[in-house]
Order: sequence, then structure tokens, then C-alpha cells
Amino acid sequence: MADLIDYLQFVLAPQALNGLSLGVAVVLMALGLTIIFGLLDVINMAHGEFYAVGAFLALTLAGLGVGFWALLVLVPLLMLPIGWLAERWLIARVFHSRDRHILTLLLTFGLGMIMEDLLKLVYGPNTQRPENPIEGGTEILGMFLPNYRLFLIGFGLALIAAVWLVVFRTGLGAMVRAAAFDKDMASSLGVPVRRVYAGTFAFGVALAGLSGVLLAPIYSVFPTMGRDFILMAFTVVIVGGMGSIQGAVVAGLLLTQVQALSSLYISPVWSDPLVFGIMVLVLMVRPQGLFGRLGHA
Amino acid sequence: MPEATLRTVSDPGRAGPASRSSRLAPVHWLALIFLAAALGFAAVAWATGNGFYLRLATEALIFAGLAMSVDLLLGYTGLLSLGQALYFGLGAYVSALVLRDVAPSFWLAMAAALLAGGVAGLIGGVIANRVKGVYFALITFGLAQVAAKTVYNTRALGASDGLIGIPQIQVGFGPFSLDTADPLSFFLLVLGLTVVAYAGLSYLMDAPFGRTLAAIRANEKRVPFLGFNAWRYKLAVYVLAACVAALAGALYPMLRGFVSPELMFFETSGNAVITVIVGGVGTLVGPVVGSLLLTALRSVVGSWTEHHLIVVGVIFMLSVIFLRKGLVGALLARLSRRGEQGRATP
Repeated sequence: MADLIDYLQFVLAPQALNGLSLGVAVVLMALGLTIIFGLLDVINMAHGEFYAVGAFLALTLAGLGVGFWALLVLVPLLMLPIGWLAERWLIARVFHSRDRHILTLLLTFGLGMIMEDLLKLVYGPNTQRPENPIEGGTEILGMFLPNYRLFLIGFGLALIAAVWLVVFRTGLGAMVRAAAFDKDMASSLGVPVRRVYAGTFAFGVALAGLSGVLLAPIYSVFPTMGRDFILMAFTVVIVGGMGSIQGAVVAGLLLTQVQALSSLYISPVWSDPLVFGIMVLVLMVRPQGLFGRLGHA
Repeated sequence: MPEATLRTVSDPGRAGPASRSSRLAPVHWLALIFLAAALGFAAVAWATGNGFYLRLATEALIFAGLAMSVDLLLGYTGLLSLGQALYFGLGAYVSALVLRDVAPSFWLAMAAALLAGGVAGLIGGVIANRVKGVYFALITFGLAQVAAKTVYNTRALGASDGLIGIPQIQVGFGPFSLDTADPLSFFLLVLGLTVVAYAGLSYLMDAPFGRTLAAIRANEKRVPFLGFNAWRYKLAVYVLAACVAALAGALYPMLRGFVSPELMFFETSGNAVITVIVGGVGTLVGPVVGSLLLTALRSVVGSWTEHHLIVVGVIFMLSVIFLRKGLVGALLARLSRRGEQGRATP
């Protein structure tokens, strides 16, 4: 019995908490993706690069002497116009085409490619590590936890709750859900659908940028940093149900736990095939995912 | 959810009543001009003793085979595959293993790759064709990721290093034989195979099989009312595309002497999609033109900056927005417009 408690306390629990801090970060990425898909039907292949842009922006601004707390506000604000313009100039251009699913996927894929290379051009291909803004650690139940990870979990959960509040409890969120449900009807009832589209895309991009700021101190910053992360976020969005907010949260926390706990028993290099295998299985058996999409629930 | 499809080059280029007559469709003329240019290039490169460019052109043709397989799905059937590199890489690994460990036989390697591509395509097709539209794109992507990561982790397959030391071989055609170590002969061999693939696939796409695929692309829901089983046709074209990709991949280790897991990664699949979009969706010759142009571009731009992705990305996005039918489609549309004007004013 004592062995079991030791095992729970010193092996499973730290791994689960590590998984939780990764999970919160993945959920933040997945939220942006799933809101953009739920409303605009766009698979944003450049989401990982927007995340990298956020991290690099934070790095540059920190170099100019901007504090960490200011970055948490400033970077998302700077990302908003980038997202707005991307929607107006690229997505809106092909939005009324019959093949917009494929065309928008291809456009954002190209955009991501260009952004990644631009980051390499500006910052060089090397890995950079920003300073940890919250030093030290805390002992909880005999486990030592870095303070920054605790902050990440708390802040991330608060942010997720805030997104949920905005989407489901404000007039703005009602507009977004109405446009997702039936854009023509919403438009005739006075919802400025075009602006809602651009605004939602910008909001998703800002969330990706904010994840970049939050994760930079843990995972370090390099131009291709979006790639590994985006695959996980895609899997989360698919498993949770594309366009579903609660789906992204549940699947994000679930899958990162699967990844974290499975790495105790199988070599961590196999956790990627495992997660993608789950994604393929869900697509086969229940392509709509665990939950219904935005505006249809 | 509306069917996700891409419009392809319509009547001016290909098909229509004209293709029933003995006259060659304009798209085939374009292919012939292209073949002549390729032979001219080979002659110049051989005369100047430039093996490097011959090898580069051979590689472009090999990746053109992969792009053709993407075109079969995207251009003719309206299915976007983001994981075609799975079959390309499979063909490359099977061919490398056969050449290294079984027998240095070209035909055996190609047959083994074809078989492996067909079987894997059947399995992948049954899985991927359960879903439609963007879900199809994502499931093909996921399948390729699982396969690529598995190869990447498998020590027996060389893990992240891949397989090296693939021997160079003699390719026998009855009394004749040809050495893959010689840049010119291998280029001509791959060019010949590309021509055969183009001719065969074009014929198939003009045959009732291809017309049924076009019907699926146009409106899948109506196809059953015409008495066709859309699912069976989509599976068939998926297996066909997997076989084409595997055969193209089988040539890769003969050219480079090694294979690596990168061949299966998303970059390879993504590049194939870029090639098809820039070259011309639904033309089959477009992927070949696109592959050679992009390879040339990468090599030219790459000689003065390593940031060629920006250039390729911009060209790709411009093609998506402005050239819905790619370079070949734009060229064909211009030719047919000129032809009509010529007829109108005798």
C-alpha cells in the first residue's frame, strides 16, 4: 500500500502535473483553431507560425525593456491587426468560392511557410531562451514544482474561462455564434458578419500569440517552434470536435494526460504515433469529434 | 457541408468531343513540346558534361511522379491528400531494401514497390474514404504522420538516419542494359517512365473511369443515381495514386543512393501539393512542369539565399488566388482564346 502511494505521489502525480501545464498551453492553441474553424470553416495551417511570431515578438519587446506582465497584454494587441489583415486580404478573397475549404487551407499553409522563413531571416535559425519571469519553486505534497508552471496552469485556466465567458455570455459572443449558425440570417438581423469574421480570426491569432508568450520561457524560441505544437493542437481540435470550445478543452486536457502518462510506460518517442493514431481513429469512427460545433450545440 | 473540390481545367484544354477524334488535345501538344525541351536539355547537359544538372532534373521528374499522384486525387476527383508522401516514402524504403538486401534488380524493386503501394493504398483508402472534404485531408495527414514517426523510431529501418549504401544497378531491357550511375541514361529512363505514366494516366482519365471521377468531383451525391458506386471509384483512384507515388518513390534510392524518413514527412506531401497548384490542377502535365520549375527556382534562388521558402510561398499563394488552374491552365486558356479569335476572323 505504501508502495502504491509512493508511486502515485512521486511518479504519477508529477507527470500528471507536467501534462496539465502542457495541456493548458495546448488548449489555448486549440481554442484559437477551433473558434476559427467553427465560425469561418477555415483550417488555419498558419496557426503554429502565429504562435511563433508571438514568442519572437515577446523576445524582441523584452529586449527593449518591456516587462513580462506588459507583454501578456501588448503581444496579443499587436497580433490582432496581423490576424485582421490576414483574414481581409487572404481568407475573404476566396471565401465565396465553392472550394473554400481547400483554398483557405492552402492559403494559410503558404502563409505559414512564408512567416516561418521570415522569422528565420530576421532572427536566424538558432534557439533562444528568454529569462524565466517567475523564478523559484513551491513544494506541494512533497513534490517540487516550478512556480512558472503553476502560474501557467492558473493563468491558462483563467484565460480559458474568460474565452468561454466571452463566447457564451456576452452580446459579442452571441453575434459570433449566430454567424456560425447561419451567416445569412445573422446578416439580415444586423450582425456585421464580415467584421465578425475578421475579428474572430484576429482573436484566434491573438490567442496563438499569447500562447507563444506564455510558453517561450518553458520551451524556448526558434523559428520552427510552431510545427510540433500545432500537430498536437490539430489532434486536440479533431478529437474534441472541430469548432467546439468545450471539446477543445476536454480533449486538450485528456490527450496531454495520455501523452504524459503513456511516456511512463512506453518510450516517449512513441507518444507522437500514439496521439496521431488516436486522431486517425477518431476521424474514422466519429469524424465530428466528441462535441458538436460552435453555434450548433 | 458542401463538397470540397477544386475546379480543374475544363473544356478548352482537354476532353470534349475533340478528344474522340484523332486530333491531339492541346494539353497533349504541350506535353510533347515539354518532352522535346527535356530531350534538348539532356543533349546540352550531356554535351557540356554537366552531371549535376542532369541529376537535379532527374530528381525533379521523380517528385513530379509524386505530384501527379496528388493531381489524380485533387484535380480529377476533388480529394485533397496531405499525406501522399506516405506512399512515396514507402516505395523508396521498399526499393532501397530490395536493392540492398535482396537483389540489385530494377524490375524486382519496382514490382515490390508497386505491390507495397497497392496494399498500403488499399488499407489507407479504406480508412481515408470513410470521411469527406477537410476531414479527408486531415485523415491522410494523420496517417502519414503515424507512418513517418514509426519509421523515424524504428532502428531496423535506420531510424532518423535512414538507409544508406544503396548500390547502383544495371537496368536490363532484354539485350540492352543501362547504368543508373550514368546521369544521362538514368535521366532518360526516368523521363521515359514519366512519359509512360503521363500517357497511361491521361488515357485512363479520358476513359469512362476518369469521367466517373469527374462526375464525383462535380457532384458526388448524384453519382449513385447514375448507377455508379462513388465509394468504390474513390477507393480505386486512391489505390492508383498510391501506386503511382510508390513507383516514383522507388526511383529515389536509385538516384541518390540513400533514403531518409524526411521522404515521408509533411514537407514532402506539402511540396507535392504546392507543385500541383503552381503547375496546374487536373492537367497531369502541370505537376511535371511545376516540379521542374520549382526545382529550378529553388536551385537558382538557393544559390544566393537560403530563404527560398519565401519566394516559393509567395508564388504558391499567388497561384491559389489568381491562377486557379495553375501555369499550364493559364497557358491553355490563352491558347484556346487565341484559337477562337483566329477562327472568328478568317
